Amino acid sequence: MTQGYRNRSMTPGTNTQSARPGRTLAARDNLLGLAFIAPTILVFCAVIVYPLVSAIYLSLFSIYTPTMEGEWVGLANFQELLAKGEFWRSLANTLLWTVGTLTLQLLFGMLVALMLHQNMLFRSLARSLVLFPYFLSTVVAVLVWRWLFNDLYGIVNHMLMWSGFIDMPVDWLGRMPNAMLSLIFVGAWKYFPFVVIAVLARLQTIPDELYEAATIDGAGSIARFFDVTLPQLKSVLVVIVLLRAIWDFKEFDLIYLMTGGGPVIATQTLPLMVYKEAFALNRMGVASATAVLMMLITLTFMIIYLRKARD
Amino acid sequence: MHYIPRWLRRGLFNLFAWTVILLIVLPLVWMITTSIKPQSELFLIPPAFFPEEVTFEHYRRLLTETPFLTYLRNSVILAGGTTVLVIVVATLGAHSLVRFSYPGRETIAGAVLFTYLLPSVVLVIPLYFLMAALGLVNSLFSLVIAYTSFALPFALWLLRSFMSAIPPDLEAAAMVDGASRFRAFIDVILPQAAPGIISTALFTAILAWNEYLFALVLINSDASRPLTTGVMNMLVTSFNIEWSLLMAASVMMSVPLLVVFVFLQKYLTRGFGAGAVKG
Repeated sequence: MTQGYRNRSMTPGTNTQSARPGRTLAARDNLLGLAFIAPTILVFCAVIVYPLVSAIYLSLFSIYTPTMEGEWVGLANFQELLAKGEFWRSLANTLLWTVGTLTLQLLFGMLVALMLHQNMLFRSLARSLVLFPYFLSTVVAVLVWRWLFNDLYGIVNHMLMWSGFIDMPVDWLGRMPNAMLSLIFVGAWKYFPFVVIAVLARLQTIPDELYEAATIDGAGSIARFFDVTLPQLKSVLVVIVLLRAIWDFKEFDLIYLMTGGGPVIATQTLPLMVYKEAFALNRMGVASATAVLMMLITLTFMIIYLRKARD
Repeated sequence: MHYIPRWLRRGLFNLFAWTVILLIVLPLVWMITTSIKPQSELFLIPPAFFPEEVTFEHYRRLLTETPFLTYLRNSVILAGGTTVLVIVVATLGAHSLVRFSYPGRETIAGAVLFTYLLPSVVLVIPLYFLMAALGLVNSLFSLVIAYTSFALPFALWLLRSFMSAIPPDLEAAAMVDGASRFRAFIDVILPQAAPGIISTALFTAILAWNEYLFALVLINSDASRPLTTGVMNMLVTSFNIEWSLLMAASVMMSVPLLVVFVFLQKYLTRGFGAGAVKG
C-alpha cells in the first residue's frame, strides 16, 4: 500500500492535463464523461444519499418497527439518548474496544511485518498464511473462536490448564472483563494482517543506504529501528491508525456474533445498540438517532483522515 | 550477541518466526481437524490434536440434511450479482472520474471516499424501510442493491487508483489513429485496466460473500438466506450445538477463499498496493 504515492495521485490537478489531451476533445467528450458517471450517481442516490437523508429524518420520529408508523417528536429521541446511561455506556464500550483492538493490531502487525521482512524459510508461504484471517468471513472467524473458547471442550481452556496457568475452566465470553478482552483479542487476530500488508509494503521501499549509513555511525539493530525504520513508517502508520480506527469503531458482525453485546450490555457497542433499538426493541426512531450520533463521531475521524489523505 | 554463530542465529530466528506463523493459523487448523473427527473424539479430555480416525460424515450430513446447499447457491448468486453490477458501474465511473473533466467531478470523488468509510449500520434502517415499501424484503435482489452501498464506493476508489496509473498518451494515440473516445475506452483502456478490474472484482466478491448485517436485516426466510446468516442460524436454532457440523460448514465457506489464495493471490496483493482495503 504505497500511501504517499496513491494520495498524491488523488489530489486535484494531476488529472486535469490528462483529461484534455490536446484540448481538441471538447464538450462532446465531456457528455460521454457524464454518461459514464451517470450510473454511479444514480446508484449513489438510491443506496447512500437517500438512506442517509432518510436516517436523519427518521431520527425525528417515534416509530414502531413492525407497523412502521410513527409520529413527529422532534429532538426528543436525542434528548432521551443523551440523558440515558445506556448510550454513554455503549459509547465507552465502543471506544474501549476500538482503542484496545487497534493497539493490539498495531503491535502485533508491526512485529509480524518486521519478521516477514527478514530472510526466512518459505517466506512467501508465511506471507500467505498470515493474510488468511483478514479475508476470512467474520462468521467463520467467530464460529472457530467460539469453539476454541468453549468452556467445557474448548482447546484454549485445555491448553491453559495443561500448562498450569489456570486451575478451572474459564468462561471467556459470558463474564466481564473476559468478554471484552476476548473480543479485543479476536478482533486483533482478524484484522492485524491489514497492518502487516501496509507496513510490509512500506518497509520494502526504505532505501538500504539509510541502514548502511546508520550502521557506519555505529547504530545497533535497536537504534536502527528507532532512528531509521520508525520515522520512515510514520506516514503509513498514521493512515493505518485512522482507517482502522474508523473500521473498528463501526464493527458490528464480530461483536454481535461473539457476545451479542453481553453479558447484559457490558460489550454492547454503538452499532449493536442501533440494531437492538431498531429490531429487538422496535424503536426505529431512537435507533436512527443513535445511528446519526454515531455517524457524527465517525465524521470527526473521517475529516482528519481526508485532511491527511490530501497532504 | 556476537558470540552466537550466524547459522545458529538464523536457525533460532526461523524457529521463532514459524512458531508465530503457526500460532496465527492454529485456529484454522483446529477448525479443519474438528470437522473431520468423529463425534466421539470431539469430547475427549484432554483433546487429541490429530484425529485418530478421519471421517467425512459431517460433510455428508451438512450437504444432505441441512439447507447448506440452498445457502451456498444464494451466496454464489449474491456475490456474482453484486460483483457484475458493481464492476460495470464502477469501471465506467472510475474512467469518467480519471479521464474527463466536468463541474462537480472533485465533489463526486470526495463523496466516494466519504461513503467508503460510512458505517453500514446507518444505512441499514432506511434501506429496510425502502425495501419493505417496495415489497422486496426477503429477495436476493434487495440484497444485491443493498450490497452496492458499500461495494460500489469501495470498487470506485480502488479502480480509480488503478486507472489513473494508465498513461493518458495511450488513449490519445488511439484517437490520433481515428478511434472515437468510446472506442478508445473499449480497445485501449479496458485491456490496460484488466488486472486492476480483476483485483477489484475479487475484493468485491469477497466482501459480498462475507457480508452479514444486511443479510440479517433484509432476509427472513431460509429460501433466500446466504451462507453467513444461514450458518449462524444453524448455531442459534440448534438444540445442542454440533461443533463438528459447524466447523465443516466453516471449512466449506472458506474453500472459495482458499482457491483465490492459491491461484489468484497476486491480484489480491495488487489490490492492497492500489489502496487500503475495507475491513
